[in-house]
Amino acid sequence: MAKDIQPIVVGVLALQGAFSEHIQLLRQAAKSLSALDPIDLHWTFSEVRTLAQLLQCDALIIPGGESTAISLVAARSNLLEPLREFVKVRRNPTWGTCAGLILLAEAANRTKRGGQELIGGLDVRVDRNHFGRQVESFVIDLDLPFLPLSGREDIGGGRRPFKAVFIRAPIVEKILPIREGPQVEEETLDETIIAPSRAPEGAVAKEAVGRPVEIMAILPGRVAALPNKPTTTRPEGGSSDIIAVRQGNVFGTSFHPELTGDSRIHVWWLGEVRKAIANRRQLDGVHTHERLP
Amino acid sequence: MATELPVVNGNGAVGGADRASFTVKTGLARMLQGGVIMDVVNAEQARIAEEAGAVAVMALERVPADIRAQGGVARMSDPKLIKEIMEAVTIPVMAKARIGHFVECQILEALGVDYIDESEVLTPADNAHHVEKHPFKIPFVCGCRNLGEALRRINEGAAMIRTKGEAGTGDVVEAVKHMRTVTNEIQRASTMSDPELYDMAKEIGAPYELLKETVQLKRLPVVNFAAGGIATPADAALMMQLGCDGVFVGSGIFKSGNPERRAKAIVQAVTHFKDAKVLAEVSAGLGEAMVGLNVSDLDEGKRLAVRGW
Repeated sequence: MAKDIQPIVVGVLALQGAFSEHIQLLRQAAKSLSALDPIDLHWTFSEVRTLAQLLQCDALIIPGGESTAISLVAARSNLLEPLREFVKVRRNPTWGTCAGLILLAEAANRTKRGGQELIGGLDVRVDRNHFGRQVESFVIDLDLPFLPLSGREDIGGGRRPFKAVFIRAPIVEKILPIREGPQVEEETLDETIIAPSRAPEGAVAKEAVGRPVEIMAILPGRVAALPNKPTTTRPEGGSSDIIAVRQGNVFGTSFHPELTGDSRIHVWWLGEVRKAIANRRQLDGVHTHERLP
Repeated sequence: MATELPVVNGNGAVGGADRASFTVKTGLARMLQGGVIMDVVNAEQARIAEEAGAVAVMALERVPADIRAQGGVARMSDPKLIKEIMEAVTIPVMAKARIGHFVECQILEALGVDYIDESEVLTPADNAHHVEKHPFKIPFVCGCRNLGEALRRINEGAAMIRTKGEAGTGDVVEAVKHMRTVTNEIQRASTMSDPELYDMAKEIGAPYELLKETVQLKRLPVVNFAAGGIATPADAALMMQLGCDGVFVGSGIFKSGNPERRAKAIVQAVTHFKDAKVLAEVSAGLGEAMVGLNVSDLDEGKRLAVRGW
């Protein structure tokens, strides 16, 4: 039995941005998990700046920061292809916040002149700096349907709202058709860039192919711009902005849960990671670490 | 690595409804961590900076080395120039206002710049007061030489701090001195009892609550960058190893022989600041560094860092 509880290594890409904040929230999340289940003590959280460090990871967070800077530094540090390998070939659990969401999208708008490199993994098109410049940044209370109900009576047994921090944030402006190859139609659009395609390898990765894009949270209409006003997200929404999505192994949020001190999303995501890793270890029959080239 | 900056920190002077706005202001600074902010004087330089991997650019008419050489009163840049730079790049754009010149700050806010640097590099407009920064929607970064100065600025509403260093010299010695001074003062404060802390707060002219928070965090309560005299990848990595969260490079890039290469090298150096192999690699063949002035040869009257109160 003890053999089964190998630690799960969760890396945070630390090339630039709010990586320290994610590590702190992961530690906080692990604490609440172990409070629920004393056996749940087997997490390792580490900063990732090199290929060797990436190869140690079972799952990865790409933090907020400047997506252009992260992508350029990743390319110059010879990490861009290994990251695509990690996300799209091996299909390891990966979560991107803000800049991380941009990098994990298959297509992006309003990038710098000459475009930027994307990792890809989510069949969506993101719109960078959707709300505008820093003066348009805001904090808003959201109800996130994927978080568990709190059972607290003061809020009718519902969920405590999540304080979502949007900083020069992107949104998902379009869910794209699911493709095995690159999003070629997107490439024909003005000022839209796409990520290169990579074929999945291995049983787990192949299982993940063709998964739909799930809308995990929405920012309703323009009400969104009003601070301190609780809003309700609708899973199927009209013209509202999509601010969290998941497709198979990849999860992305436009806002910054790492700036709140509220670790509920980290707790939820670690739960998803644990399920995915258990499944992978069972299917692979071996520890995942030796498998990357 | 620097001591961790807890995710919820803040400003002793602010609570309640303002907390959200301070979260958003400090939040952008957090997104810039581990990055390089570069001084640029036109759209073309801004594009070079963006391609090099800068996390933001500082839009200004003259880099500090030229301000120093040409003399005269240095003021906020022409809004036309700032707008051109804002249109040229997608990364955040910062701009400088004179110390105490709150109307320049109002103008910069109306332009929609992402951060205001209330900077000693420009000629101060008020010889006693800094700008009251809390009421602005735009976040501010301010320079400091020591802990007291840093905490006074945070108390006024600065969401980010940088060392003053000695801008426009290419001599890193003052930036090192200012960073070491802040660190040493925090260490000294952390051994103190409450009555002693009250006394220290009085001595350094800082609000007690912020000093107390600093002691608990064992670091400044906001993101803290290095600035003033950084000219090489090694300088940048030195400041990071001393505990800075990122680096401003002013004259050091566009006053050097090969700005593109140097800019890229400094960006790599700030990410991999602990990896001497990477530092050796990126430091090679960069061409001439900016010529540089020894700070020790500067008359007191020529020093920019002494501006600010």
